[in-house]
Amino acid sequence: MKEEIKRLLEDALPLVDFDSPFIFAELDSLGVTIILMVLSEKYGIRLEHSDATPKNLKNLDNIVPLVEKKLAEKSTV
Amino acid sequence: MRTLEDYLCDNAALYAGKAAVVCHGEEITYAQLWQRVERRAEGLRRQGVGEATPYVFRASQSVEFLVTYFAVHCARGVAVPLENTLPEERYREIERLVESSNLPSGTADVLFTTGTTGKGKGVMISHEAIIADAENLIEAQRYSHELTFIINGPLNHIGSLSKVYPVILTGGTLAILDGMKDTDAFFAALDRSESKCATFLVPSSIHLLLMWSERRLQEYADKLDFIETGAAPIAQSDMEHLCRLLPNTRLYNTYASTETGIICTYDFNVSECMAGCLGKPMKHSSLFITEQGTVACQGKTLMTGYVGDPNLTSSVLRDHILFTHDNGMIDAQGRLHLIGRSDDVINVGGFKISPVEIENAAMALPEIADCVCVSVAHPIMGNLLKLLVVLEEGQHLDKRSIAQYLRSQLETFKVPLLYEAVDHIQRTYNGKIDRKFYR
Repeated sequence: MKEEIKRLLEDALPLVDFDSPFIFAELDSLGVTIILMVLSEKYGIRLEHSDATPKNLKNLDNIVPLVEKKLAEKSTV
Repeated sequence: MRTLEDYLCDNAALYAGKAAVVCHGEEITYAQLWQRVERRAEGLRRQGVGEATPYVFRASQSVEFLVTYFAVHCARGVAVPLENTLPEERYREIERLVESSNLPSGTADVLFTTGTTGKGKGVMISHEAIIADAENLIEAQRYSHELTFIINGPLNHIGSLSKVYPVILTGGTLAILDGMKDTDAFFAALDRSESKCATFLVPSSIHLLLMWSERRLQEYADKLDFIETGAAPIAQSDMEHLCRLLPNTRLYNTYASTETGIICTYDFNVSECMAGCLGKPMKHSSLFITEQGTVACQGKTLMTGYVGDPNLTSSVLRDHILFTHDNGMIDAQGRLHLIGRSDDVINVGGFKISPVEIENAAMALPEIADCVCVSVAHPIMGNLLKLLVVLEEGQHLDKRSIAQYLRSQLETFKVPLLYEAVDHIQRTYNGKIDRKFYR
């Protein structure tokens, strides 16, 4: 899943280095919004702006569990 | 005449212990701010900054930025704050340009903005224009020393920098944020203030808040004295949504630009809520519509001219009238309504971008045979940049590599997010890009 998310986000935000340990620092509000929109659409999950914390979007290793958590929430509904 | 720094000095005595600026957890009082400004001004004088000397520096969302900005003025120099992400080569070019130009006496700032030809323009702004902008806003939007104003946009742009003026003049508090990507930080700034708050939000930031933080925003209905928007068209649905959510908050749509200064404003939460309406001119401003249907402005807030380019200056500024590329009309109540632009500039989230500048940069890449930069609709930003490219034979589209190259040549906000390979670029009979075809 990590590689898939990386490819998706690299395609949507070509300037951002998704191997960086500090992705959030590279983002602006458009970048944050695009990440939320791309992941919501791809995985059919509901990501909100309150999910876009510096911690959750710090790096790919934090983004993956965020998506997994939302997928798990979706399957229990 | 009095400068903004004269008012800052007064307020350092009048409101010595009051917070002047809050930023990244740092709080600085008026007395402390003034002390740091005086110390920095002394240092700048020792470095040779004096009457009309340009001082070029990178803008940042920090107390340090404001200290430098005010100190340059105190040393009688001219502040030239540049985009933080501006490539070094372009930074040096601008430095050479302003250092080789004679800046008129009374010039406070040179702010760089997009030119329709793809070349940036250095807009000279006088101390008189800064005070006129401040007084326009204070009277029309009712700034007071009790207000905390949250700035979340880049401080080298007129949209945010112009809010520093009325706040410092009235002795209010500035809360500076690093953009709107962390909405928790925005709401924390509202929480932190004990007094009423106000802010400037571009339409895309308003849309984001309404989409993702509607209930949370509503919790601050009594604390938000006013919200100002501008720099791009705001949707009627977002305006109405905001009015319902914040019934007692003044909601202003303002007409301003680096060249014109702050001209008109309109509270759309009072009676009619109309998209495109920018209200009546403020106390130091007036305007009329030209025969071509474009907006022309007059008054004390206008720029002095473009640095080092008298021909470009006279093409837009004649007889103390600033001729814009905005198409508009004035209604029976004397309110300005905007109905688009007469040039090719693309507005992305409040940043005005010339497609020519992006095309010129991209054409330097050997794999690109031809290209055009177009605007595509986006549900939140309003518009996004897309680069259509004709590739040289045998080349494939590597959008990441093109984007990275453009990033080395341009400010980050000018780099397109979207790329597409096409067979050819539509051109007119005389070889120019047929921009109407791509609208």
